Amino acid sequence: MKNAKYILRLTVTLLLITAVVAGLLGLVNYLTEDKIEALQNEKAESAMREVLEAERYTPLETDAEGVTALYQAGDKGCVVRVSVNGFGGAIDMMVGVDTNRTVTGVSIISHSETASLGANCTREDFRAQFVGASGSLAVTKDGGAIDALTGATVTSRAVTKGVNLALECVKEVLG
Amino acid sequence: MSVFITLFTISLNAILAENFILVKFLGICPFMGVSKKLDTSLGMGLAVIFVMALASAATWAVNEFLLVPLELAYMQTVVFILVIAALVQFVEMFLQKVMPALYQALGIYLPLITTNCAVLGVALLNIQNGYTFLESVVYGITGGIGFTLAIVLFASIRERLEDCDCPKAFKGFPLALIAAGLLALSFMGFSGFKVF
Amino acid sequence: MNFKKQLKEGLLTNNPVLSQLLGMCSTMAITTTLFNGIGMGLSVTIILICSNIVISLLRKVIPDKIRIAAYIVIIAGFVTMVDLLLKAFLPALSESLGVFIPLIVVNCIILGRAESYASKNGVLASAVDGLTQGIGYTAALVLMCIIRELLGSGTFGKGVFGADGIRILPSQYPALMIILPVGGFLTLGCLIALTQWVNRKLAAREAAKEAAK
Repeated sequence: MKNAKYILRLTVTLLLITAVVAGLLGLVNYLTEDKIEALQNEKAESAMREVLEAERYTPLETDAEGVTALYQAGDKGCVVRVSVNGFGGAIDMMVGVDTNRTVTGVSIISHSETASLGANCTREDFRAQFVGASGSLAVTKDGGAIDALTGATVTSRAVTKGVNLALECVKEVLG
Repeated sequence: MSVFITLFTISLNAILAENFILVKFLGICPFMGVSKKLDTSLGMGLAVIFVMALASAATWAVNEFLLVPLELAYMQTVVFILVIAALVQFVEMFLQKVMPALYQALGIYLPLITTNCAVLGVALLNIQNGYTFLESVVYGITGGIGFTLAIVLFASIRERLEDCDCPKAFKGFPLALIAAGLLALSFMGFSGFKVF
Repeated sequence: MNFKKQLKEGLLTNNPVLSQLLGMCSTMAITTTLFNGIGMGLSVTIILICSNIVISLLRKVIPDKIRIAAYIVIIAGFVTMVDLLLKAFLPALSESLGVFIPLIVVNCIILGRAESYASKNGVLASAVDGLTQGIGYTAALVLMCIIRELLGSGTFGKGVFGADGIRILPSQYPALMIILPVGGFLTLGCLIALTQWVNRKLAAREAAKEAAK
């Protein structure tokens, strides 16, 4: 009998603690939820604006290779979000393509490339090379026109592949 | 076929290129704590593989069928650590009853595993990477194998470190960390290593 | 007076990272820029103070058998709160620390202090302990960050003073290796060796003083 009472006490204490913690967490979540969501949307939006400025973006359906999201950017063209395998993991990037099927901008949303080598793919001068390009791209080592980052050929190839995938996807959509 | 390739890539990455200890820095405490002898480190490694596989399966299910439908994803950390703690306790009791010999060998490591960041880490990473159930379990098992590989390699180095002559201040722990650093350096060779 | 002693313990003689050898995962993983180090250090300090206070308050209520489970729930609660707050108000920090924020739950420093200090001492003392141990942890992290950032990328204060920090070494000189995992092990190894050396000198001086008396 005494034992049962003890076990009951253990259970109740733990249950109470868990309940209080859960309650408090619910409160904090309630307070921060909207803010976090707004921040995430803002981030995605600002990445889209960076690659192709437009009034509004409407999501489109697609099942093209590597493409995680596709948006129609008003009458200016499309913004494609692609994910490719880099050196250290997935590179998540946004590519803007106008109605002439030329690249208007590339922005890297997240990556896990080596610091100071592959991580330089976020640098402006590297990304700027893609602007105005069309057709199929390749790094200079593979006979193309894109200068690879020093010591990070794999990353450069991955970003180039991402841009190619985006161009192909837009080609299918715009016909 | 493509399922097989995905699983193979996940395994290879978890064991070598993204080794939990030497590249991701998860589970350093047991790595430094129980790597003085080769056989104990092997025991710890096996226990971690076991718990990581179970934890991956359990937390994936809890997340998919409980937290996501109830929109309680923000409670992940709290729920996962509870699931892991309960799981470890359960494994401990189960082993004690059914396989006393194994319990004798692993017993002391099991409570330590609750606070092993590799276990909570694998649970959180499974969700973050959006793995399916099968992928999660494979990631858990192979992550554990990677852990075991690192800890066993390190223990065999450390047994030799005991007798070496070095500056007094470096004796013991600091020297072990530097040896671990060199081991991490060699694992760097695997990063970016791709088969497909 | 007591505070001074505890502060010295936290910073040097009983530093959570450099002497007690706790919480090494985060110490090595995130100390690549000063911004990360300060952010992580402050997060852990806040969580440590809160959990120490609550656990000390509840130390007579929680039965011994389930104390670890109870501590873990309390700690996990605080960690999740900090995680959510960072996501909402400091998204840059939350992004660069990634999975290591939720992993503060299993940071041995917090559970270790709960078990060895807060569960045996009063509220005020526990809060002070949380503060001093947190400062010790932050100090160790900041030291690691400064060394690794200087040697690894040749800058100081990345993220704190502008996105690229202040460049100290020209960009072709830094040894990239230091901000990779290898460097974490090497830097921490050397720092712990240094702490052991300093602590031994201090102990020797104390002993000499005692002998002189």
